[in-house]
Amino acid sequence: MRFAPAVLFCSGLLLFVGGDDPALAKDPGAGTADDPFTGFEEADWDDPWDEEPQGLDWSGFIESAAGARWNDVSNLDRLTLGEFRVRAETRHVAEHYRIDFKGELLWDQVVTDLDAQVRELAVSFTPARFMDVKIGRQVLTWGTGDLLFLNDLFPKDFVSFFAGRDEDYLKSAADTARVSFYTDVVNLDLAWTPDFAPDDYLYGERFVFWNPALGAAAAPATPRRATAPGDDEFALRLFRTVGPTEYAIYGYDGRWKQPLGADADGRPIFPRLRSWGASVRTPWLGGLFNAETAFYDSLDDPRGDDPRIPNSELRLLLGYEQELVRNLTGGIQLYAERISDHDRLIENAPVPARAREEWRSVATLRLTHRAWRDALTSSLFIFVSPSDEDFYLRPSINWRRDDHWSLSGGVNLFGGREEHTFFGQLEDNSNGWFRLRYNY
Amino acid sequence: MNTGKWIVTLFAGIALPLGASSEALTEVDEIVERANLAAYYSGEDGRSEARMMIEDSQGRRQLRQFTVLRRNEEPGGDQDYMVFFSRPSDVRGTVFLVAKHMDRDDDRWLYLPGLDLVRRISASDKRTSFVGSHFYYEDVSGRNPALDEHRLVETTDAHYVLESTPRDPAAVEFVRYVTRVDRETFLPMKTEYYDGQDRVYRVMEVAQVEDVQGYPTATRSLISMPLEGGSTLMEFRSIEYDVGLPEDIFSERYLRQPPTRWLQRDGG
Repeated sequence: MRFAPAVLFCSGLLLFVGGDDPALAKDPGAGTADDPFTGFEEADWDDPWDEEPQGLDWSGFIESAAGARWNDVSNLDRLTLGEFRVRAETRHVAEHYRIDFKGELLWDQVVTDLDAQVRELAVSFTPARFMDVKIGRQVLTWGTGDLLFLNDLFPKDFVSFFAGRDEDYLKSAADTARVSFYTDVVNLDLAWTPDFAPDDYLYGERFVFWNPALGAAAAPATPRRATAPGDDEFALRLFRTVGPTEYAIYGYDGRWKQPLGADADGRPIFPRLRSWGASVRTPWLGGLFNAETAFYDSLDDPRGDDPRIPNSELRLLLGYEQELVRNLTGGIQLYAERISDHDRLIENAPVPARAREEWRSVATLRLTHRAWRDALTSSLFIFVSPSDEDFYLRPSINWRRDDHWSLSGGVNLFGGREEHTFFGQLEDNSNGWFRLRYNY
Repeated sequence: MNTGKWIVTLFAGIALPLGASSEALTEVDEIVERANLAAYYSGEDGRSEARMMIEDSQGRRQLRQFTVLRRNEEPGGDQDYMVFFSRPSDVRGTVFLVAKHMDRDDDRWLYLPGLDLVRRISASDKRTSFVGSHFYYEDVSGRNPALDEHRLVETTDAHYVLESTPRDPAAVEFVRYVTRVDRETFLPMKTEYYDGQDRVYRVMEVAQVEDVQGYPTATRSLISMPLEGGSTLMEFRSIEYDVGLPEDIFSERYLRQPPTRWLQRDGG
């Protein structure tokens, strides 16, 4: 039980920056009825715009976060999130290029480790009128799903996502060269990552997951990490917007982003993967409609009869989002995966009863409410799988007190009828969290 | 395609010949049209830096700073806007793109740099807070005059006083609004919004007008909320019209890769 130190970090953060809040020091008088403009003096703008930028301009935040699971589980702490994070960002914009940097120093109480991370360090330039290039460590995102990914095979950090870190951390950074071409007919994005960048999957330091060998959801005594092969991956997107409608075609050549396969000795590996897909997004009935599909071609198991390698699968997504009433937005998604050669999968499965069904379906609902001129945002995201009979609820609330302070809290609640399904295996990971952030 | 006119500022100058006549207009539709052009369609395009000081009802203040690019399809017609945020630090790098349409809902996108995500916004209600301020999206890009019925209630020495009532009262939070339009510049200088109890709950006032390349331009304006308290002051500077913004600036490409050349002062 290491919850208490995390709370101490938060109090320390308050002491550290609490006395330095310019918003509190201001005279509250905005003016009088006669002249509403009195009271706004140039000195009140802490960034007078007469000032030309000089040198590098640094910004970022300091954040304290804590979270804990409800249940005791063996090999794991109750603490699922306990950290103190300092982010620094800057950029250098020159005439013909631009460099972006985002770096972090993180004390993580769960693994008791101090870590320095570079989230972005990339140079961007435009070698020709029709071409943009960005090379270096960067985060990439495409596709139309809301927290469901079909053609976006850029690395994701599910540990951060389930622990209650900011949603930005769901996307990991990778060392990638991105080249974009823009023409009147179609635009093309190419992303080449020389060193395969896997997801941050669950390996057992913080969360339990289904362990086939034990026949139970558990955390292994030693974290179950797979060795990432040193080969490259390649992603492309052809896209075009016609009027209000966005069309895209996607391709990927690399590996499954999680170690879904096993070698002859049962050690986890990343099997090869090639995928193709397409998407469309357009306004419809006062809201937004999107559809996306992808075919995952599992190159190491073309016949679908190798139980140690995932079969190929087809993924389908339909989504619709609309503002229901002022400041309340609702979105629904219907998502399905169809396993290829399911009969062979069953024939070869060590435990056919626990093998995946041919179709896995998921429905999601997102409700977002904004109040106090967007200062208070409440969100509820629900995943429900009719085929797996499991669910994941993700309510959260964020209060942006002013330009510096914000406070967030939320819950990750997993459950299911069986212990081996996608969300069902995570049931003992259900947790609550909060974060306090100071932006500078 | 450069037949259009664009806005840079939320409140800009006049597209029609200036001061053509000092005689009072009597046709309300013409006044409304000229006010719309004066406020939102100056030049064929434009860029401006802007900042807002938001004060909540408890006196707490926040800042926003951004650069706006605007391009007109045609005077009084469709427009594209792009807003690049530089302050505060938690929204730095965020870019907002609007394709404003006369005949259908606007298309809106938001670029979130932390995720490299181009998010399409479905919100159809334009009378919601613009980035936490007391300005609405509609105050920034202009309310389609055809959505209201307008009446000329008074002509003073300096102003036309218009009263407007919504054609679809359920779609808006006001029952009516009264606008004082400057007779020389046709800029709306003060707008008061009335609620169901006939109280003024929201006021827009222009405090400063400058001549920019021959276009009278509101460079300082305030939205205040007399009943609930709170206000937002917005200021513009480094305004340039007719800078020659290419049409393709307003696209996903430049959400991800800010068009540095067009964001800098005297960039064109």
